[in-house]
Amino acid sequence: MGSSQSELREHDVQELSEKTGFSPEQIRNLHKRFKNLTNNGNSLSRGDLENIGDLTFNPIRSQIIDAFFDKRNFGQDEVGTVEEIGFEEFLTVMSHFRPLKQHLMQEDKEKIRREKLRFLFNMHDKDNDGIITLDEYRQLVEELLSNSAIEAQRIKSIADAAMLEVASVTMGQMAPDEVYEGITFEHFLQILKGVEIESKMYIRFLYVDTTPMSCGK
Amino acid sequence: MLSLTLVLVLSAAAGEAVTERYADGAAPSSAPAPALTPAPSRSGAEESGRPGLALARSAEQPTPTTVHGEASHHHGGGYRIVQWEWSYVQTPYIIAIWLLLASVAKILFHLSQRFTTVVPESCMLILLGLVLGGVVLIASKKQLYQLDPGLFFLFLLPTIVGDAGYFMPARLFFDNLGAILMYAVVGTLWNAFCTGFCLYGVKQAGVIDDKVEAGLMEFLLFGALISAVDPVAVLAVFEEVHVNEMLFIIVFGESLVNDAVTVVLYKVYISFVEVGPGNVQTADYFKGVASFLIVSIGGTLVGLIFAVILAFITRFTKRVRIIEPLFVFLLVYLAYLTAELFSLSAILSMTFCGIGCNKYVEANISQKSRTAVKYTMKTLASIAETIIFIFLGISAVDKSKWAWDTGLIVCTLIFIFVFRAMGVVGQTWILNKFRLVPLEKIDQVVMSYGGLRGAVAFALVVLLDGKHVKAKDYFVATTIVVIFFTVMFQGLTIKPLVKWLKVPRSTNRKPTINEEIHERAFDHILAAVEDIAGLNGYHHWRDKWEQFDKNYLSKLLMRKSVYHKSELWEAYQKINIRDAISVIDQGGNILTSARLSLPSMASRTSFPEVTNVTNYLRENGSGVCLDLQVIDTNPGAKVEEETETHHVLAGNLYKPRRRYQSHYSRHFMTAGDQERQDREVFQRNMRSRLESFKSTQYKRHKKDRSQKKRKGSDAKEQETIEKPRRNVSWQDKDSAVLELCQSPSVAPPSPTCGEKNLPWKEDVDSLPPCVSSEATKIIPIDLQQAWNQSISSLESLASPPVLQEPQHPHVNTLSRLAAPTRPPSSAQFHFPGGKDEEDESALSQQQQEMQPLMLSRRQLPHSLPPSAALPSGKRRNPCVYLRSLVTPPPSNSVPHSRKPTQL
Repeated sequence: MGSSQSELREHDVQELSEKTGFSPEQIRNLHKRFKNLTNNGNSLSRGDLENIGDLTFNPIRSQIIDAFFDKRNFGQDEVGTVEEIGFEEFLTVMSHFRPLKQHLMQEDKEKIRREKLRFLFNMHDKDNDGIITLDEYRQLVEELLSNSAIEAQRIKSIADAAMLEVASVTMGQMAPDEVYEGITFEHFLQILKGVEIESKMYIRFLYVDTTPMSCGK
Repeated sequence: MLSLTLVLVLSAAAGEAVTERYADGAAPSSAPAPALTPAPSRSGAEESGRPGLALARSAEQPTPTTVHGEASHHHGGGYRIVQWEWSYVQTPYIIAIWLLLASVAKILFHLSQRFTTVVPESCMLILLGLVLGGVVLIASKKQLYQLDPGLFFLFLLPTIVGDAGYFMPARLFFDNLGAILMYAVVGTLWNAFCTGFCLYGVKQAGVIDDKVEAGLMEFLLFGALISAVDPVAVLAVFEEVHVNEMLFIIVFGESLVNDAVTVVLYKVYISFVEVGPGNVQTADYFKGVASFLIVSIGGTLVGLIFAVILAFITRFTKRVRIIEPLFVFLLVYLAYLTAELFSLSAILSMTFCGIGCNKYVEANISQKSRTAVKYTMKTLASIAETIIFIFLGISAVDKSKWAWDTGLIVCTLIFIFVFRAMGVVGQTWILNKFRLVPLEKIDQVVMSYGGLRGAVAFALVVLLDGKHVKAKDYFVATTIVVIFFTVMFQGLTIKPLVKWLKVPRSTNRKPTINEEIHERAFDHILAAVEDIAGLNGYHHWRDKWEQFDKNYLSKLLMRKSVYHKSELWEAYQKINIRDAISVIDQGGNILTSARLSLPSMASRTSFPEVTNVTNYLRENGSGVCLDLQVIDTNPGAKVEEETETHHVLAGNLYKPRRRYQSHYSRHFMTAGDQERQDREVFQRNMRSRLESFKSTQYKRHKKDRSQKKRKGSDAKEQETIEKPRRNVSWQDKDSAVLELCQSPSVAPPSPTCGEKNLPWKEDVDSLPPCVSSEATKIIPIDLQQAWNQSISSLESLASPPVLQEPQHPHVNTLSRLAAPTRPPSSAQFHFPGGKDEEDESALSQQQQEMQPLMLSRRQLPHSLPPSAALPSGKRRNPCVYLRSLVTPPPSNSVPHSRKPTQL
């Protein structure tokens, strides 16, 4: 453990802390975890994440793992995927789940909300065409329901129904020959405006400690 | 109001009469004290919901002595034609009068919408109670009614707690469990001790009159009972305020969970008071702590055990659906009683039983049972709450019970308020260090202000033994004033306060499918990220629990048929049903406003309205709020429209013959309404067609013959309709028929229903609604076949959606929104735009001449196998395509076996 921590210089910690908003302590903890996941390596690959035991039963595992290797989530306006990520990227992705600071202004909240939703949107929008198409949506629902024995057709119809709901909410009345392409980000915001993402999508990073690492790998 | 007073005087006089009769008629020694006679009336409120108990009670109620006394009194000589059997019906009569009174009072309060938005119902009920108490006092010179602790704890409280527990939003509750426990345990202890000690201090300082004979122990006891936030009051007030869910669940959860603390403190102090403060040993304090653990954990365990039993039982009620609701009531109530039996925390037990079983029970029992459970629980809880508040008001009028001491009252009010505020602020400060969604300042204000005291405190203080607690009367008075102050003053002002502070209100709506999907997705994402980050946080454990639940608990407690369905599926299903209902509502509107003469097309063009209704419904749906009034507070358009629809349906659909045929069974429900409606409508239309067919083919005499066979009113009705039918233009009739079949066709709670109206509306629309009940007897053989087929397709409409839905996802999805928008997947699917509208009218115009022809033509679609019908350019007859889509899998329909009952 000691050796892995030594790789993270104090300077880097400060820098990362400014960039991602994590406290230095959290960064150090996450770094430990990172090292643990990568077998003390410097880059994290898909396989490393797939090997996490607790993740095995997560129905949308693949989407989540994909999100870690999606350049869009690294905050650098790039697209595409990468095979391996370094600690900084790992941290950047993680920072989407950072709890809100207290006493935020309304605009800041709105901004964070958009960011978080953008993260989710990107997760569902796999081909990065700015639209969650019906197929992508179906896939999401399918994965969500993969644990329960519901027939594929029915899953499809749930997704279709959800899609129609989006269409009716966002587009209002459509001409009969109009076709709803898919959920754009704006629509995504619209359909989830009832959900307080900014207060839900967070994880308590405060107490990252070393104990759970033993069960990591 | 006048009528109320009248009723009250009546019942009061009756009560008096009873007491007198008891006094002179029955043996005086066994006569219950006046205050007790009406007591059963309160218990009765609950008995009606608990058959077992009701039986037990009614068995012992009519005591032989009174009956005999009565008999001798009245049966002076010979046989009397009319007898005055008051003592025989007395108890249930008074119960009924009280219930009626309470219900009428509710109606009156809700007459003025503006008034009820300002004044909480609980305030009005207490005021009403005060008035009634005064009337009773004047009428009978002494107070007959008061809130009896035993009956309160055994009957009134459990109904409210049961309702609250069963409909508790479990997720929200457990998400905030930490805060709830903190406030409930630490907060209540803090309040109790501080209030007790400070009152004692004030007493020593001489502010409180010397007549109040109370030592430290007494004040601590009083502090314990007065400091607990009361679930009934909190529910009553908060349900009207609609603060956001988190705030609500924290305050309400606290009020439920603190029961354990209150019970233990109360019991410990009582025992201390009884043995005298000097004899209390150190060990007793530890016993107190141990007892707290046992009471709370024990209560919770009892509740959970009963939850498991209940869930397990409902797994096997498939064949006795009718008693499903009973199981729910009985076992939840038994959980309460069992906890009381072992003097554990009954409220905790019941709450956890409700929370625990809800998921499995709701999955196991039928939709109708669900509705029954919901309505009965809400009704009972609502009436119990009404009675509690009325009786609180009435009890306050009873001067013999209490003694006033201004010092004590003022100090208590100040202390409970101050310590509540301090406690909340202090605890929130600690909690906010751990909470990720911090509790804001305004939340804290509302929480402090929302610390209402209520009937539990009153019942506890009345339970005190006057011999040991000398100052009981003072305590009673103080408790009453505190309750009145908190419920009335704080209850009245909390709404403006919430508005003024701009506390986030609850949105109070059901999640859409999308929200459901994404919330599920979040849960998984959060759990996954926690796993990746190597944290064993809350989401991690919840995820683990869900897996455990899925793998073991649900398998054990849920029916196989429902076990595999996920919650998402359930949500989807529910939303579908709601949409279907809203479409029906829309149909009702169309009907009444007659804006649209051709709903078949119009329902599509006017679809935005439908979605609006849907959204409206969602916004006004109950959501996760624990609103006791949830049933009454959705009065809006939905209920109206529903009743309208019902009127229309009742008026138009059933009359012919169903009524006479319907049989009664205590053990089974008759076939679902929707099913019957569908069949009925179909049969009517089919018959009317056959009739016109017959009239052209077989001429007049046949019809005359068939008419003769009709019975009484039926025949008359038929004739009156029959005559004008011939003269009325087709256009008018058209709309009538369309309306007729529009609503029911959408009615079945099936996701596929929306579109299904199309095929067979197509098929029947141009026919008059007139029906002959005998017409079927003269159908030619070949028509019989067509008939059977159509009925079978109809039955598939009414049958559960599960069976057919997978086959036709297109129709299904389209139906949900009736498709101004269509999914890309089904882009190739062509709706029969406005074309078939033309077809229809064309058809209807030709109809009279073409009758036989049409019929034979209509046979064709039925004989087509589903797969043969493809939309490939079949614009000429779109219904063919649609019908074939809707035609069920063969396994599903058994038309021939059902036919006899049909015809």
